[in-house]
Amino acid sequence: MATRSPFVDSPTERGGDVSRGPIVRAMVVCGLSVLLTAGCGATIPTDPDGTLDRARGGTLRVGATANGSWVDLREGEDPAGREPDLVRSFASTLDADVAWSSGSEEALVAGLEDGDLDLVIGGLSEDTPWSEEAGMTRPYTESIDGRGGTVKHVMLVPLGENALLFELDSFLLGSGDPR
Amino acid sequence: MRDATRTAEFGHPQLPDEQRDALRRAVRLEWVTIGVLTVTATLMFLVLGSSQAMRVAWIEDLLSFLPPIAFLVATRVIRRPPTRDHPYGLHRATGIAHLVAAVALLVMGAYLIVDSGFKLVIAEHPTIGGIEVLGRTVWLGWLMIATLAVTSVAPVILGRAKLTLSETLHDKVLYADADMNKADWMTGAAAIAGIVGIGVGWWWADSVAALLISVSILHDGLRNLRGAVAGLMDRRARTYDDEAPHPLSDRIDEHLTALPWVEEARSRVRDLGHVFHVESFVVPREGMTPSLEDLEAARSECVDMDWKVQDMVIVPTAGLPSGFLPGLSTSGQDH
Repeated sequence: MATRSPFVDSPTERGGDVSRGPIVRAMVVCGLSVLLTAGCGATIPTDPDGTLDRARGGTLRVGATANGSWVDLREGEDPAGREPDLVRSFASTLDADVAWSSGSEEALVAGLEDGDLDLVIGGLSEDTPWSEEAGMTRPYTESIDGRGGTVKHVMLVPLGENALLFELDSFLLGSGDPR
Repeated sequence: MRDATRTAEFGHPQLPDEQRDALRRAVRLEWVTIGVLTVTATLMFLVLGSSQAMRVAWIEDLLSFLPPIAFLVATRVIRRPPTRDHPYGLHRATGIAHLVAAVALLVMGAYLIVDSGFKLVIAEHPTIGGIEVLGRTVWLGWLMIATLAVTSVAPVILGRAKLTLSETLHDKVLYADADMNKADWMTGAAAIAGIVGIGVGWWWADSVAALLISVSILHDGLRNLRGAVAGLMDRRARTYDDEAPHPLSDRIDEHLTALPWVEEARSRVRDLGHVFHVESFVVPREGMTPSLEDLEAARSECVDMDWKVQDMVIVPTAGLPSGFLPGLSTSGQDH
């Protein structure tokens, strides 16, 4: 056999790609199909369960739990306070009526998970333990708690209902609720 | 006598100019890689929403720190010359660094597959809301997509540059690193697809994209683990990309066999990391016992053949020892 230079029969860099073939193809196909669908006029973001579409011109189902001046629940009346006011004006931008219910935070979050509620308020902070079970808005305002710490206030929506969440975020951040 | 070039040595052998230059560039590229990764990982962390695909892509970027670090550490260690306690030099540092990086990829890949699969099974709907940018509320998903798109470009360019250097240097860690960088755009594309999926209301697209990326991390881990372990187990020397047995081994045998005093010759060659350790068994022709000069000449001719051959011993024997040369009856070309 003739003398060869080293590496002469070493595969080209394509060699490394061959073993990845199936993964590459899967990723590319997946990516293209998603992008195509997105290009076909779907609004982004869209709710997997259509919460925002259902509420628009219909009813926004809101759960409220009492919390000082943030949410003031009174027997036989609609909730009052800062957050119920915000919710009412948000609902009016959607041309929606508000159907109120009340209960403990746990019961209300369960309502979000079961699809019985669209929105939960209760002077909740960014550090709420329910962040795994519910979607959280951006903090829309801040307050100072009894120990002098800053509390960033949020509302809760069902997990993954991103159109509703984005609409609410836009409303809360855009409403320019100054401290 | 060559103290000036001391820093560009792999242990005792003097590197040829081409390799010395390649090593310098590789070290520089790996520092650039670490810099780019730091920026990338920070940017991604800032927009990390609750997308599993984005999280997995981010973790992959964090794991991408390992091969460059392994390379930089190993190239420092192997510069030390052999000592009484380490007569073969410290070249194995490369193999150990490779193994560590491979295990990290493997474990993380497996964990992320379980994690992403679990999210798919319990049908967790990823939640991405709005964020305020310059006084306007935009969907965070767009920001995530833009970040992924921007940060996917640099690794591909770096990977391509490192790939050619890894061949010149016969460096398997550098090769593994380059190969992973080169494929990095696929991670970005998959994560983008996952986030667009969330955008159009397909909650499962995110977990599926995350699973795909996790599988590719696991795949990288397995491939590198196989290569690293085989190298440390003294597998026959292979090319820089492990695709084929290294042709140098056959060339040494051919050269020795062609010597006038040699009846037959076979070598076993192991890859210490960059350089080879060669043991050549040589059977002299009937009545032609080689002189010490013959043996020394044969050795230095082989050493001149390639910079990777430096640590070489020639053992004259009456017959080829089949116990040390398995597969003796078959041809030297078998894989």
